[in-house]
Amino acid sequence: MLLQAILLGLVAMLGNAEYLFGTSLLSRPLVMGALTGVVLGDIPTGVTLGATLELAFMGAFSIGASIPPEMISGTVLGTAFTITTGAGPETALTVGLPVASLVLIAKNVGMVFILPPFVHKADAYAAEGNMAGVARMHFLGGFFGVNLIIGVIVACGYYAGGPAVQALLNVIPEWISNGLQITMGLLPAIGFGLLLMMIMDKEVACFFFLGFALSVYLGIPVTAIAIFGAIIAIVLTQLRSNSAQTATEGGLDEDDDF
Amino acid sequence: MTTSNKLTKKELNQVFWRSFGMEWDWNYERQMNMAYCYCMLPVIKKLYSNKEDQIAAMQRHLEFFNTTPQLSTLILGISAAMEESNANDPDFDTESINSVKVSLMGPLAGIGDSFIWGTLRIIATGVGLSLANQGNILGPILFLLIFNIPAQGLRYYLMNAGYKLGSGFLAKIQENGLMSKLTYAANVLGLMVVGGMTAENVSIKFPLAFGSGDEATTLNDVFNNIMPGLMPLLFTLLVYYLLKKKNIKTTTLLLLCVAIGLIGSFFGILGC
Repeated sequence: MLLQAILLGLVAMLGNAEYLFGTSLLSRPLVMGALTGVVLGDIPTGVTLGATLELAFMGAFSIGASIPPEMISGTVLGTAFTITTGAGPETALTVGLPVASLVLIAKNVGMVFILPPFVHKADAYAAEGNMAGVARMHFLGGFFGVNLIIGVIVACGYYAGGPAVQALLNVIPEWISNGLQITMGLLPAIGFGLLLMMIMDKEVACFFFLGFALSVYLGIPVTAIAIFGAIIAIVLTQLRSNSAQTATEGGLDEDDDF
Repeated sequence: MTTSNKLTKKELNQVFWRSFGMEWDWNYERQMNMAYCYCMLPVIKKLYSNKEDQIAAMQRHLEFFNTTPQLSTLILGISAAMEESNANDPDFDTESINSVKVSLMGPLAGIGDSFIWGTLRIIATGVGLSLANQGNILGPILFLLIFNIPAQGLRYYLMNAGYKLGSGFLAKIQENGLMSKLTYAANVLGLMVVGGMTAENVSIKFPLAFGSGDEATTLNDVFNNIMPGLMPLLFTLLVYYLLKKKNIKTTTLLLLCVAIGLIGSFFGILGC
């Protein structure tokens, strides 16, 4: 039981490690279900349950900044409890879905409280010129901030059993999980603020607002904004060189008004 | 400037392998920034012998980055080529390295997400599911192979393509003295992309309602009637202001975001 719990934890960590191995889709239920089957000695059932959960989590996919339910733990625990209790495939879903949303909260705690210090420590190392330090933060940040959390939860969850997992799910107040959800909507502003610091000056600031307005009013995707942006940039560069033939000789001078 | 300031196949291959961890420490603040910097370390080490240059380059590549991970090598290749020019040409506009990065990552993600996630993943899943439904272990195996052979092959191809594109393009530009124009153009394009991404990614919602029944309007509607996304925009500008004018640390801003989230949620002022 303990050995199986540890092995399942490692399976979950391998799934999350797809992000270290080329985002290779190891974390998908198809793969996780099969590996859970391998650990528990029932490969065909594991594979079949993986397929069931794959369909359920089909839409759960991170594109851009959206984070889906934590389907690794959902799949591993859902599949494991279904195999050990010998219940039907629907059990995998009824266990898997709530577990996935519970673990998403834990993952968010990691994302909000554990991972950011590594990001800031990497900044500090970079400022000292310590390359090994930056590299270390890259590996440790992902490991402690996300990977280990998922592994530990899956191992403990399997060891504690299905009813205990359900009970825990009911204890966490909703305002905390909502609060973290809200925080996640705010955090990208820091990244964009840092980018703006880098490339925005008075002369071109209006284009930030143009990009924003194109998105909110016309609802066009970023790729389309980039196409319009490229055209505007080309036209403006041509206009600038026509109206100030000599200005380009100035080379790097940012303030060559015309 | 030393003699060892030309990149070789060795560094490019190192960058390629390192790019497999592009999403390993994906974070809300700057997304793939640490991974990107980690990928660029062999390039930085090879090109810059001077400590100050190394520091500046590392800080440059710790800025925000996000794109489709399998295609990230295209931008890494271009960045590598630009760093190479920067190391060899004292007049090179260093800022343009990040401007080009920023202006490319959005469009590349647009193409990449639909091709890699929309098309390739769906094909692989379809084949995998049809076998896995019968409990056949070949299902998951084929699923992984069908997805990864093209995806990682593309990752390798784009590494070299990006570097070649970057160096060929840059050589031409520098001959004509077009660098300052390129920087201006890249800044315009980059800012528009950042504007669009801000609109898509930053979110603040106010579920508080006034009135009752059909008359009820939420505070959200009020703000959105002034301008959609008004509050996310103002919040981003506030963060920018705090960073630029007040030198507030990102850690402090992070804690501020957590506090706003929890307090807002507890009193029901903010929603998600």
